[in-house]
Amino acid sequence: MKYKGWDEFEIGAMLRSFDGAIDDIAGTAQIDRKYSENNSYRANVADWRILKPVFNKDYCIDCQFCWIYCPDVSIIARDKKMIGVDMDHCKGCGICVEVCPTNPKSLLMFVDYADEEAELAQWPAKDEEE
Amino acid sequence: MAFDKMELRDIEVWDGNHAAAQALRQCQVDVVSAYPITPSTPIVEGYAKFKSDNYVEGEFVMVESEHAAMSGCIGAAAAGGRVATATSSQGLALMVETLYQAAGMRLPIILNIVNRALAAPLNVNGDHSDMYLCRDSGWIQFDAFSPQEAYDLNMIAFKVSEDHDVRMPAIINQDGFLTSHTAQGVHTLTDDEAFNFVGTFKPMNDMLDFEHPVTHGVQTEEDWHFEHKARQHNDMMTIIPNKIDQAFADFETLSGRKYNKVECYDMEDADLAIVCMGTSVETVREVVSELREKGLKVGVIGLRVVRPFPFFEIAEALKNIKAVAALDRSAPGGAAGMLFNEIAGSLYNTDSKMLLSGYIYGLGGRDLTKTNIVDLYNELQANADAGKVLTKQQQFIGVRGPKLAYL
Amino acid sequence: MSEIKKIKNLKEFSTSADRFEGANLLCPGCAHSIIVREILNATNDDLVLSASTGCLEVCTAVYPYTSWDASWIHIGFENCSTAIAGAEAMYKSLKNKGRLKQPDRNPKFIAFGGDGASYDIGLQWISGCMERNHDMMYVVLDNEVYANTGGQRSSSTPIGSSATTSPAGSISYGEKMNKKDLMGIMGAHNIPYAAQVAPNKWKDLVKKVQRGFATEGAVFINAVSPCTTEWKFDPKDTMMLSDLSTDSLVFPLYEIIEGREINITYRPKNVVPVEEYLAAQGRFKHLFKDQYKHLIGEWQTRVDENWAYLNRREEARV
Repeated sequence: MKYKGWDEFEIGAMLRSFDGAIDDIAGTAQIDRKYSENNSYRANVADWRILKPVFNKDYCIDCQFCWIYCPDVSIIARDKKMIGVDMDHCKGCGICVEVCPTNPKSLLMFVDYADEEAELAQWPAKDEEE
Repeated sequence: MAFDKMELRDIEVWDGNHAAAQALRQCQVDVVSAYPITPSTPIVEGYAKFKSDNYVEGEFVMVESEHAAMSGCIGAAAAGGRVATATSSQGLALMVETLYQAAGMRLPIILNIVNRALAAPLNVNGDHSDMYLCRDSGWIQFDAFSPQEAYDLNMIAFKVSEDHDVRMPAIINQDGFLTSHTAQGVHTLTDDEAFNFVGTFKPMNDMLDFEHPVTHGVQTEEDWHFEHKARQHNDMMTIIPNKIDQAFADFETLSGRKYNKVECYDMEDADLAIVCMGTSVETVREVVSELREKGLKVGVIGLRVVRPFPFFEIAEALKNIKAVAALDRSAPGGAAGMLFNEIAGSLYNTDSKMLLSGYIYGLGGRDLTKTNIVDLYNELQANADAGKVLTKQQQFIGVRGPKLAYL
Repeated sequence: MSEIKKIKNLKEFSTSADRFEGANLLCPGCAHSIIVREILNATNDDLVLSASTGCLEVCTAVYPYTSWDASWIHIGFENCSTAIAGAEAMYKSLKNKGRLKQPDRNPKFIAFGGDGASYDIGLQWISGCMERNHDMMYVVLDNEVYANTGGQRSSSTPIGSSATTSPAGSISYGEKMNKKDLMGIMGAHNIPYAAQVAPNKWKDLVKKVQRGFATEGAVFINAVSPCTTEWKFDPKDTMMLSDLSTDSLVFPLYEIIEGREINITYRPKNVVPVEEYLAAQGRFKHLFKDQYKHLIGEWQTRVDENWAYLNRREEARV
């Protein structure tokens, strides 16, 4: 965000989460909210990542372990289904992969510049030893 | 539950503490979060009794320290309502961290400081050490010289502080014991008159507006902090002085009592002046009227608004004065007194040829006697006659032992 | 009182719309935000929040960004409890006076503090808030160290841990003091509800937090928050460490009702040796040198004794 002069912001260094009024925040999905420019939802930490999670929906059982244990609100769940990873907010910690219970895992970590299509095409097979 | 109104006589005999407590009652404060300390305790006790007798309906939170008292006030003010508390001395010292935070967050909170010395050595009596301790905290600071003024200034402080163009916390100082525990006649307003003067609290950026969530108390580093602090100072320098004048004018319309940021007594044709605060103003006024009878052209200035410092008003009031004494009731700790410095700053680079000398007095509640004041005017007269300051620029008065003079 | 949000299982829980946002500045793998999300998502009611100075605060409200979708305040290190108590007092006052803008809401007042802010510098403030029984919840994000300032010991730092102000060395095994029993201290306030929780046991956590929300009066929650940076483990292993902490009984999950009734809420089927918990963390690495190895046995004894003590209290209903 651009730097502002001393006369260009509201007093008290106060920040608003949303533009305008929002009646029922807990009942409004993130995509439907009018986030203010000061909400970190509109910021990006993708450059923190060294590794990134790649999601393979073929093996996902929608258990939502990744959703509950993601520290960065980056697992996108819709109607009880896991649909992907928010790559603007994912810091690449890898917790989602660790807690994924499927075999093979439905999420795996790759270097951040890896080609997702290519990695999905060569997804590991079921580990028979488990 | 409705609360009861109180029938007051036109003039009540109140000490400064009770006058402040009555003002808080009449302003219908929403939350008082407080901790007792001598000599401000009766304000809190008075408020508690009003609460027990159904004269107030706000929340009264008795916390476990002064730091918590102001912390609770900040949380309550950010939530969005009228907030007040009271403290003194060591309590204020414990509270100081949060004073800066209240001002930085631009939260309207009213703090009655019943001025008292700071330890060590421990002392419960009045001086202005605590007032000076928080002078750079960003709060508006009023100074009451009497119980009447403690009463009036509370209402004026709410009106200024809660104004949406101001949103700055405000302190009302009064002298420990000399004002706080000395009963005098106080002209009252009716409950309705008083409340209508301050009006119903108008929230702004309030945490309890669930449709507009706000974040208060952010972190700013070198890229943003300076701009926020600059804004705070700018508003103190440009917006708030006018708002104070406006509130003084409105209060005069209501009560007939006129306040000024710089109170001038017998200053019209004065050659010599004393600038001071608190009850000393009244003592000096008495001496001035006696000296005037003897033909001396002396006057006194009481500083009504300590912050924002009335730079130009002081310069104007002193422009024709030949010699002036700044009386600081706080141990200066290796510097000139605050009033000395501020007055010097006000007059530097002006055409004034005024001779300024500073006096440290009254620490720990030591009396400022009429003899002290007569002696002081005599020194000022000598300076004026000589056209230069004949003494050291800083002197201690009223202290035992060899004379102390510096600078 | 408001309805308790129905959360039968994780699928149902995952329909929650978070009120805590990403692109905050917490470390990758930080347990703080996992705990915060589980708590905030446990209700649909409006929230009024505070945080003490610390990791959570400096990472979620750095101008010009906020990660909070509910009103939030930070004052200082020691006073987030009293800040939220002040807000709660204002709510009561305005409700009583009929001046609330949205009078039909049932806001929850929650303060978040780290262990430094709670076990150490802010203990007096919390004690005051609990004693006055404000209708609020105080949550400790207990990572057992001053993590925000680089890993100094707090009174929550356990014995044998290497912290920057109690570093392990040739003649020192690190922290010398036992961890303060803050749950015990809060229990002694006879508050309506106090509970210890862990993010891995989300269902236990949600149940306790929902009980807390339904409680009128002061609620205290102590949450273990494995710290990848200061406990020194790989960020991906946060939940593994959380599992180890509960399953080794180093961090037992229990609740104290009205200061008188203890319920143990989680009994691991397979109790993990404390040694495994210690071995998973760099802060205890030195304990595996011959010189300090005896401390591991002492650790196990201490954990066993504490577990037995909790069980005795549960059984005796004291």
